[in-house]
Amino acid sequence: MIKDAMNRRQSLKLMGAAGLGTMLSASGLPVFAGGASAGRVVIVGGGFGGATAAKYLKRLSPSLDVTLVEPQPRYITCPFTNLYLGGIRTFETLWHDFTELREKYGVRVVHELAEDVDVDRRRLKLAGGEDVSWDRLLLSPGIDLRWGALEGYDEAAAEKAPHAWKPGEQSRLLRRQLEAMEDGGTFILVAPDNPFRCPPGPYERVSMVANYFKNHKPHSKILILDAKDGFSKQGLFMEGWREHYGDMIEWVGRSNDGGVMRVDADTLEVETEFGTVHKAAVLNVVPPQKAGFIADRAGVIDASGWAPIHARSFESQLVEGIYVIGDATQAAPMPKSGFVASTQAKVTARAIIADLGGDTPPEPSWVNTCYSLIAPEWGISIAGVYEVHDGLIREVPGSGGVSPMEADRSFRRKEAEYARAWYAAITQDVWGTRFAF
Amino acid sequence: MQSIIHFSRVSRLLATFLVGLLHSVHTVAAQQGRPAWERVEAIQTLLNGAVPRPEAVRLDLPSVTQDGSSVLVTAEIDSPMTPDNHVEELYLFALGNPSPELAEIRFTPLAGRASVSTRIRLDRSQTVVALARTSGGDWLSGSRDVRVTVSGCLSRDATYQADDVMQTRVRVPPRFKAGQASDIRTLINHPMETGLRKDAAGQPIPEQIIELFQARLDDAPVLTVRLHRAIAANPYLVFHMAPEQSGELTLSWEEDTGETTVTTAEIRVD
Repeated sequence: MIKDAMNRRQSLKLMGAAGLGTMLSASGLPVFAGGASAGRVVIVGGGFGGATAAKYLKRLSPSLDVTLVEPQPRYITCPFTNLYLGGIRTFETLWHDFTELREKYGVRVVHELAEDVDVDRRRLKLAGGEDVSWDRLLLSPGIDLRWGALEGYDEAAAEKAPHAWKPGEQSRLLRRQLEAMEDGGTFILVAPDNPFRCPPGPYERVSMVANYFKNHKPHSKILILDAKDGFSKQGLFMEGWREHYGDMIEWVGRSNDGGVMRVDADTLEVETEFGTVHKAAVLNVVPPQKAGFIADRAGVIDASGWAPIHARSFESQLVEGIYVIGDATQAAPMPKSGFVASTQAKVTARAIIADLGGDTPPEPSWVNTCYSLIAPEWGISIAGVYEVHDGLIREVPGSGGVSPMEADRSFRRKEAEYARAWYAAITQDVWGTRFAF
Repeated sequence: MQSIIHFSRVSRLLATFLVGLLHSVHTVAAQQGRPAWERVEAIQTLLNGAVPRPEAVRLDLPSVTQDGSSVLVTAEIDSPMTPDNHVEELYLFALGNPSPELAEIRFTPLAGRASVSTRIRLDRSQTVVALARTSGGDWLSGSRDVRVTVSGCLSRDATYQADDVMQTRVRVPPRFKAGQASDIRTLINHPMETGLRKDAAGQPIPEQIIELFQARLDDAPVLTVRLHRAIAANPYLVFHMAPEQSGELTLSWEEDTGETTVTTAEIRVD
């Protein structure tokens, strides 16, 4: 088995060398003559992972033939969607297009849905009928929702009780519902068990909704029904909630019967594990999740629903020549965050180039920084640095940390400012978008 | 002659030695085919020489967990659960914890299904093992490796907050079908103090746990669980019952201080 895999890989390299006119330099890095391609890399997904990978592959190896497949003409970020839901940012400022990737970096951007993967022939099938061939395939497909994992919560139910966990029309729907809600209503957010996209996301979301209620619907309540007994930055969130919103927000963990088992989107009622029924004026269900569907088509996910990867390169453990990054992967302790997807993309771009050149991937180092707003001028953060140790990813001991508890107003205000700067910086890096912030 | 006798004695000794050596080589080889966890003392004591049938207990728990303080585990064995042929005992171990014992579950045929779910504490990445003994005396096993990470976005306070310790919750199906197993969920608010923590003054906090759970339908036992300190705070159990007729379900949770909470629920059988 192993020998077969090696032979396939070697023959691919030879094919690449002969067929595409590449040579290897003494250093092992590919040297390219006469504009010949260094190899074809096809990327699925134009988010933090995929768009970063496209840019950095071309920056590191301009003669690579890089195709980015993303159905939407512009990408809407999950980070800062909560600010839009809270009414302190317009939806348009979350949009990023692919002009810079196309024009400055020479990436071929195809706005189509990737429909299937032919692993043996190394071809990606697009919904429009075109096949795109690859030497290396990089999947950054984000998440799909597990419809039906919560009884009664399917795509039709999401039209009445939105998830808004993949930004777009769902975000607008939830915003409209919040605007239409009468003062004195209850907003219920159903939070999932780990692992899921953006661990602090549900708690920032209720913060931003609380800020909107405080200013426009002060008699309203917020209830979080959680499938977990704890959550990201919990102490900091709860401290901030007390400070800004008094007792408007109530969090019910799993052990206090916060685990929702059934959703009725018509009556906006949810039923918990031990039979308590809660009724909402606006119901936001963040359901259990899994890797985006193209990862399933490619055969790179296991029974967990997520993609196991080799730590150094993020090449799939299940299918050779296919790399997976971002939320779709099993990369714990790295969280499923946009920043992590982007930093994984940079490391994996180097690993792919090394692999195409017959080298081993360089020693990786990844970073996460993640800001959450509790109020417009009240920010908190968490950061971590990650490495490979004994073949597994771990947080570098002593790296990173979280904002201190009981910090004063000016400290929190500065972190809110850093949060806005963080967004401006990362979106400029990934898509080249330039906003005033 | 003497030298021949001497030689034969030597050869006899040598032969005995070689047979012994072969035997021990054979034993080592047999052991090498067995999982290493069978040599853990607590498990060796339990098995007392018996060889469990591997992969016969299905263990369902995440391969990677971001929060070792509460990991959902389900153990299930295919069994007809008849009086003549049922699973009597199920033992759960977490081999990398300071003490490996998690829980011991005693089923009766009234349970209808040899399946239990609970939440456990995992101190670090390790192997979780389940052993079961059938009414016929057969041993069954299952094991799963779990990686425990602390996610960079998931750090949280370890303090326990509940103002209603010893309060229980129970959920039973509104109706049972006679002889068919349906699930029962229950939970008790309790910190499950391990005895391994220290207070702010550096003094050890004594162990204080829920140690016994019993479920009875009228006077008939359904399930008994002995809980150890690595059961997660707010002990949680999902088990099954296959009643033939309506009755009253009594659930009792007993703390190691002797304090006990008893809850009842009406069981209606169609």
